[in-house]
Amino acid sequence: MSAVTERLDLLAPEPSRLAIVRMVILNRPSTIAAVCLILVFVAIATAAPLIAPYDPLAQSYIKINQSPSWEHWLGTDQFGRDVLSRMIYGSRNSLIIGVLAPLVAAIIGTTLGVVAGFFGGIIDRVISRLVDLLISFPELLLAIIIAAALGGGFWNIVIVLAAAFVPNFARVARAQTMAVRAEPYVEAAVASGVTQLRIIMRHIIPNIAAPIVVLMTLWTASAIRLEASLSFLGLGTQAPQPSWGNIIRDGLNNLFGSPWPVIGAGLAITSVVLAFNLLGDTIRDVLDPETSP
Amino acid sequence: MTAAVEDRPLLRVDRLSVEFGGPAARLRVVDEVSFDIEAGETVGLVGESGSGKSITALSILRLVPEPPSHLAGGRVLLDGVDLTTLPRDQLPDIRGRDIAMIFQEPMSSLNPVQRIGDQVAEAILLHQKLDAASRRARVLDLLRLVGIPDPSRRIDAYPHQFSGGMRQRVMIAMALACNPRLLIADEPTTALDVTIQAQVLALLRDLKTEFGTAILLITHDLGVVAESCQRVVVMYAGRVVESGPVRAIFRNPSHPYTRALLQSIPRLDEERRRLHQIPGNVPPPGPLRAGCAFHTRCAERLLRCATDRPPMMQLGGGHQAACWLAGPMAQAPMAQAVTP
Repeated sequence: MSAVTERLDLLAPEPSRLAIVRMVILNRPSTIAAVCLILVFVAIATAAPLIAPYDPLAQSYIKINQSPSWEHWLGTDQFGRDVLSRMIYGSRNSLIIGVLAPLVAAIIGTTLGVVAGFFGGIIDRVISRLVDLLISFPELLLAIIIAAALGGGFWNIVIVLAAAFVPNFARVARAQTMAVRAEPYVEAAVASGVTQLRIIMRHIIPNIAAPIVVLMTLWTASAIRLEASLSFLGLGTQAPQPSWGNIIRDGLNNLFGSPWPVIGAGLAITSVVLAFNLLGDTIRDVLDPETSP
Repeated sequence: MTAAVEDRPLLRVDRLSVEFGGPAARLRVVDEVSFDIEAGETVGLVGESGSGKSITALSILRLVPEPPSHLAGGRVLLDGVDLTTLPRDQLPDIRGRDIAMIFQEPMSSLNPVQRIGDQVAEAILLHQKLDAASRRARVLDLLRLVGIPDPSRRIDAYPHQFSGGMRQRVMIAMALACNPRLLIADEPTTALDVTIQAQVLALLRDLKTEFGTAILLITHDLGVVAESCQRVVVMYAGRVVESGPVRAIFRNPSHPYTRALLQSIPRLDEERRRLHQIPGNVPPPGPLRAGCAFHTRCAERLLRCATDRPPMMQLGGGHQAACWLAGPMAQAPMAQAVTP
């Protein structure tokens, strides 16, 4: 073999994954804005005890339903609690549930989907019909049904939302697994004596990870939105714990006295959901070889 | 495993039949195929697309998914052990250790998200007890052996950083990782361009002389066979039509299909003319057929060719052909022949 031809591909290395990511993000100011916004909310949630001006649970009957003032930037609610402090603490709930619910759903859904796609046959039929059954309900409806049965509370919301998201992950994982299983490198691995479990762990899952990660970012936005919806309906985060959803619900009672709790919490939900959607779109474009530059 | 008894071949495929589909629509794609591979020998398995040669090769390691396929008869003996009746959970011990395989798509036969070194090391990890450091040393040796330049740097590269020929070399390194006694190469050069083809074939030849690995080379390229093999098995429509030493087959092809195949090779040393072509197509796989599989396209067919399946005629020196016109019957009166 001529040494010259062999060196050619070493001379021009392909751009690294990181370089591609950097390029895509720099070409899209909206992604930078989204990432910054998410980082700001994460910072607020992390530093909540340090930056919140009041205790979010402290009630005061002499300060009920106040409009915004220098003491209370977003006013107070019907129990005299500081709305800004409640919003700051509420961001913890929203963000943690927003990340945790899709993560749990991804782990369970991917396991189900990979098992169905890899083994096929009767196992696939049982899992797929189960997934079809769950996916026929809209996520919010499914979440309300399960939440009504389980009741509210932090862990129940995670379970409810994860259960509502599982079918989406299972479907994508199953389809991807079936595609990857037919790849020659999987056949080659079987031919060299690799066991089934090892094929799933080493050859299938790493190759279907990209679409699962994209799905997780997209469902994070939905999880935040659904947590707010459930809390608004009284099925999510339970009073007196603050959450953006129940701040809006509490604020509705005094909407014409002071609209700021509703506006503030609504804006927070909207901007975080928007930011996660934008981030999800960008990650999808980076990971999809057909749209990446 | 113990050394083979002297008169026992390394691998004996004995009247192997593979069918697809259920009882309603049964398709026989491999029909009573028999051949032997001696230790250290290179055997070419030749046939056009759809002749069943790949399914035959995959069936040796039971890599054809069941269902839809199933074994309809026959045995595959590795050192006298029947692989067709081996419990399924013992197959991973044979695969990669005793018999390894190289596939025809080097571009997609490597896992895109795993480093080259880890993929080559996988078979070693599964079949041999070596610590991480000696495994890596062994992988470096293998990469050097198959001619990967600068292996200590390339061992941590990903497949997309390799060219097709280099990937096929990595595949060969993976297959050789545990010193298998038989290497099944399913059209290892089909997806490569001609200069790389020659290099890969030369590499396989070198490895054979160095380690005594037997090779089953599946190809539709008779030039490759002439260059690399000691014996040839010619398949047509799921059946072996002729087999024997390369010399005998090329000098004295005894089955009309083999003759037609040899006439279809373009030659440089003759004046240019239209290449010979065999009229018609390979019959689609169907249920068990009576008569000779080639009779519909054969220029020399006899009446009985449509009804009686020709047995393997022994022509001496291990050369055999499944044709009524081969061997002693060849002297039968030609008046019987019908013009197509």
